Amino acid sequence: MRGARIRQSWRTLATLGLAAVLTACGGGSGGSGSGGGTGITPPPPPPPPVSKAEAYRFLNQATMGATEAEAQRLIGLGDSSNAYARWIDAELARPASTLLPYVEAAYATLSTQPNFNLAQLNAPRLEKWFENALRGDDQLRQRVAFALSQIMVVSQVGALQNLPFATADFYDMLARNAFGNFRDLLEDVTLHPAMGVYLSMLGNQKAVAGTNLRPDENYARELMQLFSIGLVELNADGTVRVDAQGQPIATYDQAIIEGFARVFTGWKWDCASTQPNCSFNTVRPQLAPVPGYNQIRPMRFYPEQHETGAKQLLRYSGVALPNGVLAATATPTAQDLDAALDNIFNHPNVGPFIAKQLIQKLVTSNPSTAYVQRVAARFNDDGSGRRGSLAAVIRAILLDGEARSAPSGANAGKLKEPLLRLTQFWRAYDARSASGRYGVQAGNFPGGVSNIFGQGPGQSPSVFNFFSPSYAPPGEIANANLVAPELQLATEFLNTQITNFFWTQAIARTTAQTNLGPDIMFIDTRAEQAVVADSAALLDRVAERLLGGASQLSATLRSEARAQIDRTPAGTAAGNNTRVADAIYFVVTSPEFALQR
Amino acid sequence: MNRQRRRFLRAAAAGGIAYAFGRTPGTVYAQMAGGGGYSDYKALVCLFLFGGNDSWNMLVPTSTAEFNAYYASRGGGTASSLAIERSALLPVDPLTPDPTGATYGLHPSMAGLRSLFDTGRAAFVANVGPLIRPTTKQQYQTAASTGHPLPPQLFSHNDQQDQWHSLRGREILKSGWGGRVADVLNSQLGGQQLPVNVSLAGQTFFQAGNVATPYVMGATGANTFAGFGTTGVAAERRAAFEAVAGASYGTIYERGFASVQRRAVQFADTVNTALGAARSFTALPDSGVQLSPLQTQLRTVAKLIDVRARLSMSRQIFFVSTGGFDSHDNQNDDQPGLLGNVSASMASFYAALQEIGMENSVTLFTQSDFGRTLTSNGDGSDHAWGGVQVVVGGAVRGREIYGRYPLLATNGPDDVGGGRIIPTTSADQYAATLARWFGVSDANLTQVAPSIDNFSQRDLGFMIG
Repeated sequence: MRGARIRQSWRTLATLGLAAVLTACGGGSGGSGSGGGTGITPPPPPPPPVSKAEAYRFLNQATMGATEAEAQRLIGLGDSSNAYARWIDAELARPASTLLPYVEAAYATLSTQPNFNLAQLNAPRLEKWFENALRGDDQLRQRVAFALSQIMVVSQVGALQNLPFATADFYDMLARNAFGNFRDLLEDVTLHPAMGVYLSMLGNQKAVAGTNLRPDENYARELMQLFSIGLVELNADGTVRVDAQGQPIATYDQAIIEGFARVFTGWKWDCASTQPNCSFNTVRPQLAPVPGYNQIRPMRFYPEQHETGAKQLLRYSGVALPNGVLAATATPTAQDLDAALDNIFNHPNVGPFIAKQLIQKLVTSNPSTAYVQRVAARFNDDGSGRRGSLAAVIRAILLDGEARSAPSGANAGKLKEPLLRLTQFWRAYDARSASGRYGVQAGNFPGGVSNIFGQGPGQSPSVFNFFSPSYAPPGEIANANLVAPELQLATEFLNTQITNFFWTQAIARTTAQTNLGPDIMFIDTRAEQAVVADSAALLDRVAERLLGGASQLSATLRSEARAQIDRTPAGTAAGNNTRVADAIYFVVTSPEFALQR
Repeated sequence: MNRQRRRFLRAAAAGGIAYAFGRTPGTVYAQMAGGGGYSDYKALVCLFLFGGNDSWNMLVPTSTAEFNAYYASRGGGTASSLAIERSALLPVDPLTPDPTGATYGLHPSMAGLRSLFDTGRAAFVANVGPLIRPTTKQQYQTAASTGHPLPPQLFSHNDQQDQWHSLRGREILKSGWGGRVADVLNSQLGGQQLPVNVSLAGQTFFQAGNVATPYVMGATGANTFAGFGTTGVAAERRAAFEAVAGASYGTIYERGFASVQRRAVQFADTVNTALGAARSFTALPDSGVQLSPLQTQLRTVAKLIDVRARLSMSRQIFFVSTGGFDSHDNQNDDQPGLLGNVSASMASFYAALQEIGMENSVTLFTQSDFGRTLTSNGDGSDHAWGGVQVVVGGAVRGREIYGRYPLLATNGPDDVGGGRIIPTTSADQYAATLARWFGVSDANLTQVAPSIDNFSQRDLGFMIG
C-alpha cells in the first residue's frame, strides 16, 4: 500500500515537472500571455501526443533499443505529459528476466559431453543475455542492469572464467536490484561470491602480527573509487569540490583504505550441504549446480579470520560513526560490514556520483549540473524521506526535462555503446536464428562478441569497464572540457570490425537468404524488399525502423545512400539484395545512428 | 567537389594503387612526395604492463643484507610469502657495480631478458615512478600541511596509469607524453603516411596529442572494409561512405565518431598494402608457432618497421600492452607466466629487429601502473608506487641499473607504509631521456615532461646518442 502511494505521488510530481518543461520549450502555442482583453483565459491546449521520433529517443534511453512496435505502444499510453511515466511504471513492476537458469540447463546438456569444461558455459550466458536484450519484456530493467554491470563490474576474463554460474547470478542480482534500494545493492554486490572472487575479498584474512601478512585492499579500494563515492569530494550537482589551493579534495586516504580492508576480512564461500563442518580454511566452491550450491550464495562470515580492532572509515559531515571510526569489538562480528556499508551509503557523494554515472549511461554524456543535482536529490530523498531508491532515480533521470525536451546543442545526447548499437539494430529488425538460439559462437561473432564490438556482457578487461566515464578524446571534446565515454571504444580498428559486421548482416544474413546456419542471426528485411525498386521509399523504410522517422535522415546521408542504392538496378534477386543491403548499411554505420539523441 | 572525388576514385582504381583521400585536411596528399623529415629512422615502443607489475620480484637483490631485507618484508618462509628464493634468481652482472656493493638477480622466468642485459641490449631503471618533485618520506608524511606536491590519487590504477601516460602531476592535461612528442616533432615530419603514434592495443592516453592524433590498428594490422572494392559499385560504396563520414555534424559525438570512420578508411589500405610487403621473421614467425598476444603485437610492429620506407616513416611511437599484473591473488602462481611472457617477447622482438638490421634504431621501454606492496595480503600484493622499468634496444646503454635501487625493508627509509616504496627517479626523467634520444630538443623537453625542471638530472643517461 505504502509503495503504491509513493508511486502515485511520484507520478504527480513527474507529470508536473514534465508539463512545466513542455510549456517552457513547447513553442508558441502556450497561450499564457495576456489575453486579448476579454478577461477570459482560454483553457490550456491539451498536451501534444508523443511523436514517433520522441518515442524513439525515449526508448533508446530506456530499453535495449527502440522498435517501431514499442514506439507505437508508448504513443498509445497517453500524451506527452503522461505516456512516459505510465510506461516506466509498468516497467518498474515487471520481474527480471534471468540468466542463471539457462546456464544451469546448458550445464545439464553440455556436462555429459567429452572434454567438457566449465568455461564453455560463458557462451550460454551470452546467448541468454542476447535473448533477454532482444525479447525480454523487462526492457527498462535490462537496460539499467546493463548500466549497473558497467559500474559494479565483474568479468569472466580472469578468475571467474571457470565460475560461470556465479557470473550469471551476479548479473541476475543486478537486475533484481535495479529498481531497489542502493544500500541493498551495495550489500548484495559486496557479498556476492562473483565479486568476492573478482576483487579478492573472498578469503581475505586478518593480519598476523610479526609477519608481513595484512588484509587485502583490493575490494576496499574499488568499492569506494568505482562503485559508490569516487576519488574526490563532490558538490550536490556532481562538480568537484576543491580546497584553498584549487586542488580536488580526496574522499579517502590510505588509512581509510586499510580500515575498510580490515572490515572485509573473514568472508568466504558459504558452507554447502556437502561441507557440514566447513571452516575458512576448508570451504571450497561447488563448481556444479546442485540445490543451494555456494557459487551463487552470498559469502559467509568466518569470525576466526576477522579483524576485531578499531577501523578508520570515511569521515564526512554528519557521519554516524564518531569521527568515522568503527570501534573495536571484543569478539569478531559481521555487523562490521553493515556499519561499513552504512558509512559508505550515507556519504554525500553517493547521490551525485551514481546519478551522474547513470545519466551518462542512459541519457547524455555531458548532463548539466542542474540535471545531476535534480537526480541526486531524488537519490537523497525519494519524496518519502527514503534515501537510495533506484526506482526514484531512474524515473527522475528519464522524466527530467533534459531527457525529454527536444535535444539542443552540440553536447546533447551521447554516443551509443557498441553493444547497444547492435541490440537496437537487432531489435529494430526482429533478428532471430532458425534454431531460436542466439548463437554467440557459431559464426555470428568470429573471435567472440568482444573481439568485434570491443564490448561483451560480463567481459570487461578489468574492473574499470570497457570505457571510462571521464574519457575525453583529444581535440574538440577534450579542449571544451567535455567527455564522450563511449568514444574510447571507437577506434579505427573496432569501428571497422563493427562496420564489417553490419555489412555482412545486411548483405548476407536476412530473410532474403536461405541455407543460413541454424544459429546464424538474420534480420527481417521483407518490408524493405517490398519497396526495393523505389530507393527513396526503401531508405525511408530503413530510417523509420532505425531512426524513428524518415525526417531524421540528414541531407548528406539521404543523398549519398540513395545514389549508392541506385547504382545497382532492381529486378534480380541479387540486385534487390544489394539495394536493401546498401540502404541498411549506410544508415546503421552512420554517425547519426551511432548518436543516441 | 563531388566530381573531383569521383575522378580521383577512377584514377585510383585504374592505377590499382592504394589511394587514401578524405575531406580532412590531409596529410596524405603531401606525403605522396615521400620521405619523412629525418634522414635516420627511430622508433619508440611503449610496452605497458597493465595492472601494476610487482617489479620487486622482477629485479631482486641477491647480496646478503639486501636480500634478507627483501626476504623478510615479502614474508619469505611463511605461508603468505611472496619472496623468490635466492638460489632461483638469475644473477645479472652490471658493468658498473652498485656503489653499496649490492648485487641483483632476475626473476627465474626471465632468461631472455637476462641474455639481453648481459649482452648490453637492456637496462633497468630502478625505483622510478610518478613524482612532481623529489620526495622524501618525511615530505610525503607531512605533505598535507606543508603543501609539498604529490601526484594525486597515489595507489589508484587509472590515476597512476594516467600519470605514466601523461606526466600530468597535479595539472589537468589533455594529452599523453607520446602524443606531445609527436606534437613537438610534427613540423619536421610532413611526409609520413601514418601518424607518429600507432597503437596495437586500443585507445591510450599516452598517445593523445594536443594536435597529433594517434591511429589504432589491430594486433595483426588494419581491417579491410568488407563492402568496398576498387571498381564499380563497391568502389562507389567506399566513396559514398567517405562522403557520409566527411559530412558536418551537429554534435560532438557524431563528429568524433565520423572522424574515426574517416581515418579508418583512410589508413586501412595504406597499412595493409605495406604490411603485405613485409617479411616474415624467424624470431616471430607468421605461422607454426603459437605466439602470445603481446608477441603478435610486436610482430606487427616489426613488420611496420620493416616497411617504414614504403610509408615514408622516420619517427614512430608504437603502443603495445599485456595485462594481468594486478596480482592481488595467486601472485606466486601467476607471476612466472606474466614475466616469462614479457621476457620472451622482448627477446624475440629484439631478434626480429636484428633480422632487418634495425635493432639500433628501435627502443622498447616498459611502463606500468605502479609497483606493488612488499607486504602480502595472503597470496598477493596490493597497489604501491615506485618500481623497476626495463629498456631494451641497441641504442640503450645496456647492462646497467640506472637510478637508486632501494632497500626493500618495510618501514625502511623509502617505505611509506606496508612496503610502498617512494620513487627516487621520476617518470618525467625516464620519459625525457627517451624523448631526447628520439629527437626532442632540450628546449622542448618541458613540453613533453612538465616536471622535468624540478629534477637535477634531465637525462638519466641510459640512451646512446
